[in-house]
Amino acid sequence: MNKLSLLAPLVYIAVLVGTLAVFSNLYRKRKASKAASLKPWFGPHYARDVYLTLLHQETSKVPDTILKAALLRRATEDIRRIIALRQAKGSLQQLLQRGSIGDDLWTRFTVAEAEIEEELRDVVLEANAFKEGWGNTIFQTANEMANAQRIRDRTDEVVEQAAAERAWWDEKRKRSERELLGESNSDEDGVLVEKR
Amino acid sequence: MAAQSAQSAQAVQSRDTFLLLPITIDSTTKDITNLSHDPLLSRELEALNNLHRSLKQPPITDGVPPPPVPVHPHRTAMIEKMRNTGNAAFRKQNYREAIDLYTHAIQMALTRPGWEPAPLLRDELQQLYSNRAQAHIGINNWPEGLADANCSIEFKKAGNQKAHWRKCKCLKEMGRLEEARDGLEYGLEFGTDPELSNMLKEVQDMLDRRQ
Repeated sequence: MNKLSLLAPLVYIAVLVGTLAVFSNLYRKRKASKAASLKPWFGPHYARDVYLTLLHQETSKVPDTILKAALLRRATEDIRRIIALRQAKGSLQQLLQRGSIGDDLWTRFTVAEAEIEEELRDVVLEANAFKEGWGNTIFQTANEMANAQRIRDRTDEVVEQAAAERAWWDEKRKRSERELLGESNSDEDGVLVEKR
Repeated sequence: MAAQSAQSAQAVQSRDTFLLLPITIDSTTKDITNLSHDPLLSRELEALNNLHRSLKQPPITDGVPPPPVPVHPHRTAMIEKMRNTGNAAFRKQNYREAIDLYTHAIQMALTRPGWEPAPLLRDELQQLYSNRAQAHIGINNWPEGLADANCSIEFKKAGNQKAHWRKCKCLKEMGRLEEARDGLEYGLEFGTDPELSNMLKEVQDMLDRRQ
Protein backbone atom coordinates (compact mmCIF):
# COMPACT_ATOMS: atom_id res chain seq x y z
CA MET A 1 0.00 0.00 0.00
CA ASN A 2 2.82 2.28 0.92
CA LYS A 3 4.68 1.23 -2.20
CA LEU A 4 1.73 2.00 -4.47
CA SER A 5 1.27 5.49 -3.11
CA LEU A 6 4.93 6.21 -3.87
CA LEU A 7 4.77 4.70 -7.35
CA ALA A 8 1.57 6.38 -8.48
CA PRO A 9 2.92 9.91 -8.91
CA LEU A 10 6.06 8.56 -10.59
CA VAL A 11 4.03 6.59 -13.13
CA TYR A 12 1.81 9.59 -13.65
CA ILE A 13 4.78 11.79 -14.41
CA ALA A 14 6.37 9.19 -16.68
CA VAL A 15 3.18 8.78 -18.70
CA LEU A 16 2.74 12.52 -18.95
CA VAL A 17 6.29 13.18 -20.13
CA GLY A 18 6.15 10.22 -22.54
CA THR A 19 2.94 11.44 -24.12
CA LEU A 20 4.29 14.93 -24.48
CA ALA A 21 7.49 13.63 -26.07
CA VAL A 22 5.63 11.49 -28.58
CA PHE A 23 3.27 14.30 -29.43
CA SER A 24 6.06 16.85 -29.88
CA ASN A 25 8.04 14.41 -31.98
CA LEU A 26 5.12 13.67 -34.30
CA TYR A 27 4.16 17.32 -34.50
CA ARG A 28 7.66 18.39 -35.43
CA LYS A 29 8.01 15.69 -38.06
CA ARG A 30 4.71 16.59 -39.62
CA LYS A 31 5.56 20.26 -39.66
CA ALA A 32 8.98 19.57 -41.17
CA SER A 33 7.57 17.44 -43.95
CA LYS A 34 4.92 20.05 -44.59
CA ALA A 35 7.54 22.79 -44.81
CA ALA A 36 9.65 20.67 -47.15
CA SER A 37 6.70 20.13 -49.46
CA LEU A 38 5.93 23.86 -49.65
CA LYS A 39 6.50 25.64 -52.91
CA PRO A 40 9.94 27.31 -52.91
CA TRP A 41 9.98 31.12 -52.77
CA PHE A 42 12.00 31.49 -55.96
CA GLY A 43 11.88 29.63 -59.25
CA PRO A 44 14.75 27.43 -60.41
CA HIS A 45 18.20 28.91 -59.92
CA TYR A 46 19.54 28.41 -63.43
CA ALA A 47 22.88 30.08 -62.82
CA ARG A 48 23.62 27.79 -59.87
CA ASP A 49 22.57 24.68 -61.78
CA VAL A 50 24.65 25.67 -64.78
CA TYR A 51 27.71 26.22 -62.58
CA LEU A 52 27.35 22.90 -60.78
CA THR A 53 26.58 21.02 -63.99
CA LEU A 54 29.75 22.41 -65.57
CA LEU A 55 31.73 21.63 -62.44
CA HIS A 56 30.61 18.00 -62.59
CA GLN A 57 31.20 17.49 -66.31
CA GLU A 58 32.99 14.21 -66.81
CA THR A 59 33.20 13.76 -70.56
CA SER A 60 34.99 17.00 -71.43
CA LYS A 61 37.20 19.28 -69.42
CA VAL A 62 35.59 22.67 -68.83
CA PRO A 63 38.11 25.54 -68.81
CA ASP A 64 38.48 27.46 -65.57
CA THR A 65 37.54 30.74 -67.24
CA ILE A 66 34.05 29.43 -68.01
CA LEU A 67 33.63 28.17 -64.47
CA LYS A 68 34.64 31.57 -63.14
CA ALA A 69 32.16 33.31 -65.42
CA ALA A 70 29.45 30.86 -64.36
CA LEU A 71 30.25 31.48 -60.69
CA LEU A 72 29.93 35.21 -61.26
CA ARG A 73 26.55 34.69 -62.93
CA ARG A 74 25.52 32.64 -59.92
CA ALA A 75 26.61 35.40 -57.51
CA THR A 76 24.69 37.99 -59.55
CA GLU A 77 21.49 35.97 -59.34
CA ASP A 78 22.05 35.56 -55.58
CA ILE A 79 22.31 39.33 -55.19
CA ARG A 80 19.04 39.75 -57.08
CA ARG A 81 17.40 37.29 -54.72
CA ILE A 82 18.79 38.89 -51.56
CA ILE A 83 17.45 42.25 -52.65
CA ALA A 84 14.05 40.74 -53.43
CA LEU A 85 13.95 39.09 -49.98
CA ARG A 86 14.98 42.25 -48.15
CA GLN A 87 12.40 44.31 -49.95
CA ALA A 88 9.68 41.82 -49.14
CA LYS A 89 10.60 41.26 -45.50
CA GLY A 90 9.20 44.42 -43.90
CA SER A 91 5.80 44.29 -45.52
CA LEU A 92 5.57 40.53 -45.01
CA GLN A 93 6.20 40.94 -41.28
CA GLN A 94 3.49 43.56 -41.06
CA LEU A 95 1.03 41.42 -42.97
CA LEU A 96 1.82 38.45 -40.75
CA GLN A 97 1.21 40.49 -37.59
CA ARG A 98 -2.12 41.67 -38.92
CA GLY A 99 -2.95 38.11 -39.85
CA SER A 100 -3.43 38.95 -43.51
CA ILE A 101 -1.15 36.12 -44.63
CA GLY A 102 -0.88 32.53 -43.45
CA ASP A 103 1.99 30.82 -41.67
CA ASP A 104 2.79 28.85 -44.81
CA LEU A 105 3.90 31.93 -46.68
CA TRP A 106 6.07 33.02 -43.79
CA THR A 107 7.64 29.56 -43.55
CA ARG A 108 8.41 29.66 -47.25
CA PHE A 109 10.03 33.03 -46.76
CA THR A 110 12.25 31.95 -43.85
CA VAL A 111 13.28 28.82 -45.74
CA ALA A 112 14.33 30.99 -48.68
CA GLU A 113 16.28 33.26 -46.33
CA ALA A 114 18.16 30.35 -44.79
CA GLU A 115 18.84 28.94 -48.24
CA ILE A 116 20.32 32.15 -49.57
CA GLU A 117 22.63 32.48 -46.56
CA GLU A 118 23.94 28.99 -47.21
CA GLU A 119 24.28 29.82 -50.88
CA LEU A 120 26.35 32.95 -50.19
CA ARG A 121 28.76 31.04 -48.00
CA ASP A 122 29.10 28.42 -50.71
CA VAL A 123 29.87 30.98 -53.43
CA VAL A 124 32.53 32.69 -51.29
CA LEU A 125 34.21 29.34 -50.68
CA GLU A 126 34.19 28.49 -54.38
CA ALA A 127 35.53 31.92 -55.32
CA ASN A 128 38.39 31.65 -52.86
CA ALA A 129 39.22 28.24 -54.28
CA PHE A 130 39.69 29.81 -57.73
CA LYS A 131 41.76 32.74 -56.55
CA GLU A 132 42.77 33.69 -53.04
CA GLY A 133 40.82 36.76 -51.96
CA TRP A 134 38.22 36.70 -54.75
CA GLY A 135 35.61 35.79 -52.16
CA ASN A 136 35.99 39.28 -50.71
CA THR A 137 35.12 41.08 -53.92
CA ILE A 138 32.88 38.69 -55.86
CA PHE A 139 29.66 40.00 -54.33
CA GLN A 140 30.78 43.58 -54.74
CA THR A 141 31.27 42.84 -58.43
CA ALA A 142 28.01 40.91 -58.61
CA ASN A 143 26.14 43.80 -57.02
CA GLU A 144 27.41 46.21 -59.67
CA MET A 145 26.49 43.72 -62.36
CA ALA A 146 22.96 43.30 -61.04
CA ASN A 147 22.50 47.08 -60.84
CA ALA A 148 23.96 47.62 -64.29
CA GLN A 149 21.59 44.99 -65.65
CA ARG A 150 18.62 46.86 -64.22
CA ILE A 151 19.87 50.07 -65.86
CA ARG A 152 20.29 48.28 -69.18
CA ASP A 153 16.79 46.85 -68.95
CA ARG A 154 15.45 50.36 -68.41
CA THR A 155 17.22 51.65 -71.52
CA ASP A 156 15.62 48.86 -73.55
CA GLU A 157 12.29 50.32 -72.51
CA VAL A 158 13.21 53.68 -74.07
CA VAL A 159 13.10 52.19 -77.56
CA GLU A 160 9.75 50.53 -76.93
CA GLN A 161 8.29 53.62 -75.32
CA ALA A 162 9.47 55.87 -78.15
CA ALA A 163 7.90 53.53 -80.74
CA ALA A 164 4.59 53.39 -78.84
CA GLU A 165 4.47 57.18 -78.35
CA ARG A 166 5.38 57.70 -82.01
CA ALA A 167 2.55 55.42 -83.17
CA TRP A 168 0.09 57.26 -80.91
CA TRP A 169 1.28 60.68 -82.06
CA ASP A 170 1.19 59.83 -85.79
CA GLU A 171 -2.29 58.44 -85.37
CA LYS A 172 -3.39 61.56 -83.52
CA ARG A 173 -1.95 63.85 -86.15
CA LYS A 174 -3.59 61.89 -88.95
CA ARG A 175 -6.89 62.14 -87.16
CA SER A 176 -6.62 65.88 -86.63
CA GLU A 177 -5.54 66.33 -90.26
CA ARG A 178 -8.63 64.47 -91.38
CA GLU A 179 -10.72 66.62 -89.11
CA LEU A 180 -9.18 69.74 -90.61
CA LEU A 181 -9.74 68.54 -94.17
CA GLY A 182 -13.27 67.54 -93.43
CA GLU A 183 -14.11 70.68 -91.49
CA SER A 184 -16.92 71.64 -93.84
CA ASN A 185 -18.14 68.05 -93.78
CA SER A 186 -17.45 66.53 -90.37
CA ASP A 187 -18.51 63.05 -91.49
CA GLU A 188 -15.39 60.92 -92.03
CA ASP A 189 -16.84 58.93 -94.89
CA GLY A 190 -17.60 62.20 -96.60
CA VAL A 191 -13.90 63.03 -96.67
CA LEU A 192 -13.09 59.73 -98.34
CA VAL A 193 -15.70 60.32 -101.03
CA GLU A 194 -14.35 63.80 -101.59
CA LYS A 195 -10.82 62.49 -102.09
CA ARG A 196 -11.95 60.07 -104.73
CA MET B 1 11.77 25.34 -32.94
CA ALA B 2 9.88 23.12 -35.33
CA ALA B 3 10.25 25.63 -38.11
CA GLN B 4 13.95 25.83 -37.36
CA SER B 5 14.55 22.16 -37.96
CA ALA B 6 12.46 22.29 -41.09
CA GLN B 7 14.58 25.14 -42.35
CA SER B 8 17.87 23.41 -41.83
CA ALA B 9 16.60 20.21 -43.39
CA GLN B 10 15.56 22.11 -46.49
CA ALA B 11 18.78 24.10 -46.68
CA VAL B 12 20.98 21.03 -46.38
CA GLN B 13 18.97 19.24 -49.00
CA SER B 14 19.20 22.08 -51.49
CA ARG B 15 22.88 22.70 -50.83
CA ASP B 16 23.79 19.13 -51.63
CA THR B 17 21.68 18.73 -54.71
CA PHE B 18 21.37 20.49 -58.01
CA LEU B 19 19.56 20.00 -61.27
CA LEU B 20 21.79 18.41 -63.91
CA LEU B 21 21.09 20.52 -66.98
CA PRO B 22 21.23 19.32 -70.59
CA ILE B 23 24.10 21.54 -71.71
CA THR B 24 27.23 20.90 -73.67
CA ILE B 25 30.45 22.76 -74.39
CA ASP B 26 31.74 23.51 -77.87
CA SER B 27 35.32 22.24 -78.03
CA THR B 28 36.62 25.07 -80.24
CA THR B 29 34.71 28.22 -79.26
CA LYS B 30 34.22 27.04 -75.66
CA ASP B 31 30.63 28.30 -75.86
CA ILE B 32 28.05 26.51 -73.76
CA THR B 33 24.99 25.43 -75.73
CA ASN B 34 21.54 24.36 -74.66
CA LEU B 35 20.39 20.86 -75.68
CA SER B 36 16.83 21.38 -74.48
CA HIS B 37 14.19 23.86 -75.62
CA ASP B 38 14.00 25.84 -72.40
CA PRO B 39 14.07 29.53 -73.41
CA LEU B 40 15.04 30.65 -69.89
CA LEU B 41 18.05 28.34 -69.91
CA SER B 42 19.03 29.61 -73.35
CA ARG B 43 18.92 33.18 -72.06
CA GLU B 44 21.06 32.30 -69.06
CA LEU B 45 23.61 30.56 -71.29
CA GLU B 46 23.73 33.49 -73.68
CA ALA B 47 24.49 35.82 -70.78
CA LEU B 48 27.11 33.40 -69.52
CA ASN B 49 28.86 33.15 -72.90
CA ASN B 50 28.87 36.94 -73.26
CA LEU B 51 30.28 37.34 -69.78
CA HIS B 52 32.90 34.71 -70.51
CA ARG B 53 33.98 36.58 -73.63
CA SER B 54 34.24 39.89 -71.80
CA LEU B 55 36.23 38.23 -69.01
CA LYS B 56 38.83 37.26 -71.59
CA GLN B 57 39.47 40.85 -72.67
CA PRO B 58 42.63 42.55 -71.43
CA PRO B 59 43.59 43.74 -68.83
CA ILE B 60 42.05 40.63 -67.27
CA THR B 61 44.49 37.76 -67.36
CA ASP B 62 43.09 35.10 -65.06
CA GLY B 63 39.35 35.25 -65.81
CA VAL B 64 38.62 36.99 -62.51
CA PRO B 65 37.13 40.48 -62.90
CA PRO B 66 38.96 43.30 -61.09
CA PRO B 67 37.18 45.04 -58.20
CA PRO B 68 34.66 47.71 -59.38
CA VAL B 69 37.03 50.57 -58.56
CA PRO B 70 39.30 52.00 -59.86
CA VAL B 71 37.78 52.37 -63.33
CA HIS B 72 39.92 52.28 -66.43
CA PRO B 73 39.63 55.90 -67.67
CA HIS B 74 39.82 55.17 -71.40
CA ARG B 75 36.13 54.52 -72.07
CA THR B 76 35.01 57.40 -69.86
CA ALA B 77 37.17 59.76 -71.92
CA MET B 78 35.76 58.36 -75.21
CA ILE B 79 32.19 58.84 -74.06
CA GLU B 80 32.95 62.34 -72.84
CA LYS B 81 34.50 63.21 -76.19
CA MET B 82 31.53 61.81 -78.12
CA ARG B 83 29.14 63.81 -75.98
CA ASN B 84 31.10 67.01 -76.53
CA THR B 85 31.04 66.44 -80.29
CA GLY B 86 27.28 65.94 -79.99
CA ASN B 87 26.96 69.17 -78.02
CA ALA B 88 28.93 71.01 -80.72
CA ALA B 89 26.62 69.64 -83.43
CA PHE B 90 23.64 70.66 -81.35
CA ARG B 91 24.89 74.22 -81.06
CA LYS B 92 25.27 74.35 -84.85
CA GLN B 93 21.64 73.18 -84.98
CA ASN B 94 22.63 69.94 -86.71
CA TYR B 95 20.06 68.14 -84.60
CA ARG B 96 20.06 64.87 -86.52
CA GLU B 97 23.80 64.61 -86.33
CA ALA B 98 23.67 65.39 -82.62
CA ILE B 99 21.10 62.62 -82.10
CA ASP B 100 23.35 60.13 -83.91
CA LEU B 101 26.35 61.16 -81.82
CA TYR B 102 24.44 60.90 -78.54
CA THR B 103 23.07 57.51 -79.59
CA HIS B 104 26.61 56.40 -80.27
CA ALA B 105 27.77 57.60 -76.87
CA ILE B 106 24.84 55.79 -75.22
CA GLN B 107 25.89 52.58 -76.97
CA MET B 108 29.44 53.05 -75.73
CA ALA B 109 28.24 53.53 -72.17
CA LEU B 110 25.98 50.48 -72.40
CA THR B 111 28.84 48.25 -73.54
CA ARG B 112 30.90 49.08 -70.48
CA PRO B 113 32.02 45.91 -68.72
CA GLY B 114 29.25 44.91 -66.32
CA TRP B 115 31.42 44.91 -63.22
CA GLU B 116 32.27 48.60 -63.47
CA PRO B 117 30.40 50.79 -60.96
CA ALA B 118 26.73 51.01 -61.86
CA PRO B 119 26.32 54.59 -60.49
CA LEU B 120 28.89 55.76 -63.05
CA LEU B 121 26.87 54.16 -65.85
CA ARG B 122 23.64 55.65 -64.56
CA ASP B 123 25.16 59.09 -64.34
CA GLU B 124 26.50 58.98 -67.90
CA LEU B 125 23.22 57.71 -69.27
CA GLN B 126 21.01 60.25 -67.53
CA GLN B 127 23.06 63.04 -69.05
CA LEU B 128 23.17 61.52 -72.53
CA TYR B 129 19.44 60.75 -72.61
CA SER B 130 18.66 64.27 -71.41
CA ASN B 131 20.86 65.75 -74.15
CA ARG B 132 19.33 63.52 -76.79
CA ALA B 133 15.86 64.56 -75.66
CA GLN B 134 16.83 68.18 -76.29
CA ALA B 135 18.12 67.31 -79.77
CA HIS B 136 14.84 65.51 -80.51
CA ILE B 137 12.98 68.62 -79.41
CA GLY B 138 15.07 70.59 -81.93
CA ILE B 139 13.46 68.71 -84.84
CA ASN B 140 9.99 68.40 -83.25
CA ASN B 141 10.42 64.69 -82.50
CA TRP B 142 8.16 64.93 -79.46
CA PRO B 143 7.51 61.19 -78.87
CA GLU B 144 11.20 60.26 -78.93
CA GLY B 145 12.09 63.27 -76.82
CA LEU B 146 9.50 62.25 -74.26
CA ALA B 147 10.85 58.69 -74.02
CA ASP B 148 14.42 59.94 -73.58
CA ALA B 149 13.52 62.54 -70.98
CA ASN B 150 11.45 59.99 -69.04
CA CYS B 151 14.45 57.68 -68.87
CA SER B 152 16.76 60.48 -67.78
CA ILE B 153 14.38 61.46 -64.98
CA GLU B 154 14.11 57.89 -63.78
CA PHE B 155 17.88 57.66 -63.50
CA LYS B 156 18.15 61.00 -61.68
CA LYS B 157 15.11 62.67 -60.23
CA ALA B 158 16.57 65.47 -58.10
CA GLY B 159 18.85 68.08 -59.63
CA ASN B 160 17.76 67.11 -63.13
CA GLN B 161 15.44 70.05 -63.82
CA LYS B 162 16.42 70.23 -67.48
CA ALA B 163 15.08 66.73 -68.09
CA HIS B 164 11.86 67.57 -66.26
CA TRP B 165 11.50 70.64 -68.49
CA ARG B 166 12.19 68.65 -71.66
CA LYS B 167 9.67 65.97 -70.77
CA CYS B 168 6.94 68.51 -70.15
CA LYS B 169 7.83 70.48 -73.27
CA CYS B 170 7.20 67.31 -75.33
CA LEU B 171 3.95 66.61 -73.50
CA LYS B 172 2.78 70.18 -73.99
CA GLU B 173 3.57 70.15 -77.70
CA MET B 174 1.63 66.92 -78.11
CA GLY B 175 -1.35 68.53 -76.43
CA ARG B 176 -1.19 66.41 -73.26
CA LEU B 177 -1.59 69.41 -70.99
CA GLU B 178 -2.76 67.59 -67.86
CA GLU B 179 0.25 65.26 -68.00
CA ALA B 180 2.53 68.25 -68.60
CA ARG B 181 1.09 70.04 -65.57
CA ASP B 182 1.54 66.97 -63.36
CA GLY B 183 5.10 66.54 -64.65
CA LEU B 184 5.96 70.16 -63.93
CA GLU B 185 4.54 70.02 -60.43
CA TYR B 186 6.52 66.83 -59.86
CA GLY B 187 9.70 68.48 -61.13
CA LEU B 188 9.18 71.48 -58.85
CA GLU B 189 9.04 69.13 -55.86
CA PHE B 190 12.78 68.71 -56.26
CA GLY B 191 13.52 72.44 -55.95
CA THR B 192 12.40 75.74 -57.43
CA ASP B 193 13.29 76.44 -61.01
CA PRO B 194 12.19 79.59 -62.91
CA GLU B 195 11.87 77.79 -66.25
CA LEU B 196 9.67 75.07 -64.83
CA SER B 197 7.49 77.65 -63.04
CA ASN B 198 7.13 79.66 -66.25
CA MET B 199 6.00 76.64 -68.23
CA LEU B 200 3.64 75.64 -65.44
CA LYS B 201 1.98 79.07 -65.64
CA GLU B 202 1.72 78.76 -69.41
CA VAL B 203 0.22 75.27 -69.24
CA GLN B 204 -2.20 76.34 -66.51
CA ASP B 205 -3.37 79.26 -68.68
CA MET B 206 -3.89 76.92 -71.63
CA LEU B 207 -5.87 74.55 -69.45
CA ASP B 208 -8.01 77.40 -68.07
CA ARG B 209 -8.75 78.65 -71.57
CA ARG B 210 -9.73 75.19 -72.68
CA GLN B 211 -12.44 74.95 -70.02
